[in-house]
Amino acid sequence: MPEPRDELDNWLNVQVKPLLPPPGTFERVSGQARRRRIRRAVLSAAGALAVAAVVAVVIPEVTTPAHETGRPASAARVSPAPAASPQHPTPETSSPARIPTPTGRPAPAASSVPAASSTVPPPLSVTFVGTSTGWVMGQALPAGQCNLTAAPHCVVLRRTDTADTGAASWRTVGAPPAHGPSGPSGVTQVRFLNLSDGWAFGPDLWATHDGGQSWTRIDTGGLRVTALEARGGRVFAVWARCTGKGPAFASHCTHFSVYSSSADADAWARTPFTSSRLGLPHVPSAASLVLTGTSVYLLLPGGHLFAGPLTGASLQLVVTASPAAAPCQPGPAQPSGQPSGALLAAGGTDLVLMCTGPPAGGGQRKTICTSRDGGQNWHRTGTAPSPGTASSLAESPSGTLVLATSAGIDVSADGGATWTAARGARPAGGFAYVGMTTATQGVAIPADPSRRAVWFTHDGGSTWTASRVGT
Amino acid sequence: MGKFRATDRAAAEDLFNACYPRLAGWVRRLVDDDDTAHEIAAEAFTRLLARWSSLENPQSYLYMIATNLVRDHWRRMGRERRALRAVSAASDSDPVFHPAQDVDVRALIQSLPDRLRQPFLLYHYAGFPIRDVAVMLGRPEGTVKADLYQARSRLRAALGESRA
Repeated sequence: MPEPRDELDNWLNVQVKPLLPPPGTFERVSGQARRRRIRRAVLSAAGALAVAAVVAVVIPEVTTPAHETGRPASAARVSPAPAASPQHPTPETSSPARIPTPTGRPAPAASSVPAASSTVPPPLSVTFVGTSTGWVMGQALPAGQCNLTAAPHCVVLRRTDTADTGAASWRTVGAPPAHGPSGPSGVTQVRFLNLSDGWAFGPDLWATHDGGQSWTRIDTGGLRVTALEARGGRVFAVWARCTGKGPAFASHCTHFSVYSSSADADAWARTPFTSSRLGLPHVPSAASLVLTGTSVYLLLPGGHLFAGPLTGASLQLVVTASPAAAPCQPGPAQPSGQPSGALLAAGGTDLVLMCTGPPAGGGQRKTICTSRDGGQNWHRTGTAPSPGTASSLAESPSGTLVLATSAGIDVSADGGATWTAARGARPAGGFAYVGMTTATQGVAIPADPSRRAVWFTHDGGSTWTASRVGT
Repeated sequence: MGKFRATDRAAAEDLFNACYPRLAGWVRRLVDDDDTAHEIAAEAFTRLLARWSSLENPQSYLYMIATNLVRDHWRRMGRERRALRAVSAASDSDPVFHPAQDVDVRALIQSLPDRLRQPFLLYHYAGFPIRDVAVMLGRPEGTVKADLYQARSRLRAALGESRA
């Protein structure tokens, strides 16, 4: 006779055998759901009519004191503009609304909140177009205030046009009326493709086409934008369904999609996957997006790599030599939205993947793999220094690898075979982001934003110096 | 009414394709019937899609609906069984009923109180981590752990009794 314990465990441990849906099930189910939504809407509209009749009587009594004191009946708080525009995939909705943002400091909010730009904003993200013009996005209020959904917009954008002199001077320009990342709303990253077209994202998505003077909020239908890159006249973004709370907006994400638009228009459309994604695990994880001169690459949870042309046409699963997956998986998201387990980078046509091990003793294993055929074959080319945990990997146009870690910045000029620690002051906690604008110039964000500075290199990553993000 | 946008439809179809086979298979294991499993899985998806725009975690919601539908199915079947037994007791002069033969793990799970059965199904069957189960049920993680422990203890004890 089997032991009861064994019987229970055996029963529980039996794998569930999938039961495929009969043909047409999804269509039938979605049709029934639509009818129920309509029925509920009709009932709710009938209820609203009844409520409106009551409110029409009550409202004058409620608002009278406000008029008596001279205070307008509407709230004084400056709140983020309403979501405008459902874009291309939703043609049934209205066109985008442009939100003019005054050049200079964001409008003050409720009087109890400190002025938004009275201090130098701790930098969250930086982007450069060419060697002399860049933007840094900062959060002007303490994180605790910005993370409140009801907080006024507290994102500040600063621009410099003199970075190539080595003495950047920053000035405040228009920013999207948003707050820092807080679950399903806010922004944390900024990218510009040229002097006109730029985007603020993570998890919301805002676009500007006049250098930041006005911003348009893009409706993502409740999906969160966890990554965005622009190149060659197009912008690509990862839209995901996530449940992460607070600043961890990009955690617990599933169901990743790639949307793209012409850079000078807000015409976002979903990039289809020609390969079936059936069977891919829907594990909460991050995804990585990189663009080369010709292609867009998306690394999904499970290590599945998809590729497509920069035109925005469909993405196909890259068939790899090893069983259907890249050498490692993206793993959980970092606060920036980027993966922590696999850092993907591209310079010219090569792809570079850094696979990280679990953090231990202030460091971690960091293995470099390279592919010269679009991700079909990967070769291990070396290991980066173990001190520090990796946060960001960039490849310059000349092929130099630059790695940001919690211990500093490491540089490899031979594809990852050998590494050198960069010279210059290292902020405590290291760096959260590094990017190479040219073969010689790059920029990095410290992990501790309270440093209120960004770091520049002008010698290909060998030496880094701080530039305060202030006037 | 929140509009069901093209992006929503695509995401819903992705979720359906990825989750339906496992959900239906999971339900089949509990109800032991393919048609009923399809019926419950399809109804769970219908309810999910009808509320899609207001949901933060559709997969959790899906399994919660399915858990409740399975419970309703069990209750309905229980009533039918009791009615059949009552009929046969009235007409059969020698009713034969061997409770021990009816006892299997599924039946024992059915007999668990809702408070224990829900976390048990979500954790052991649907495979949600304890943290997610706690969020779905609105209980502290410690309470969920205690409920799981109690559910397993009861099942083991019941299995021991049924085999004695």
